Amino acid sequence: MWVYEKKLEYPVKIKKPNPKLAKYIITQYGGPDGELAASLRYLSQRFSMVTPQARATLNDIGTEVSQCTSPLL
Amino acid sequence: MEMNKQSLLKKIMELDFVAVDLQLYLNTHPCDKEALCKFNTIVNQAHMLRQEYERLYGPLCSYRSPSRYPWQWINNPWPWNYCFNFRMSREEL
Repeated sequence: MWVYEKKLEYPVKIKKPNPKLAKYIITQYGGPDGELAASLRYLSQRFSMVTPQARATLNDIGTEVSQCTSPLL
Repeated sequence: MEMNKQSLLKKIMELDFVAVDLQLYLNTHPCDKEALCKFNTIVNQAHMLRQEYERLYGPLCSYRSPSRYPWQWINNPWPWNYCFNFRMSREEL
């Protein structure tokens, strides 16, 4: 399950706010070829894994990727 | 964001970042005692700092952190707010 924490995975410093660029980044996250879609693919693939290592890794990468490209979240 | 709050939060973020990496490593190296030991130390450290941060500055999580009255979770800032920007060590960059 998703657990939100009011903090970032990695510190961010925005020197010049740039709405246009922000829109691109948010698309990289939630868009059709974005990280969110990738993370759900990992989470689906984990069900057919044979070894416990692979199952856990896909579970955790899927969790991780859903946060990765989201410095704005 | 005030300095103490920011540096405490940054420390928590650093520890969590290391914990995530070690955790992924341990998935494929479950018998690495050294890594496991490091991982446990970091998780405990992060837990203590988290409690400290929440006591001073409010909840980090909506349903795992206690709250003062009134309900604190809805308060600013959120991580996408401008004041959440981090002061980097080489500020001129």
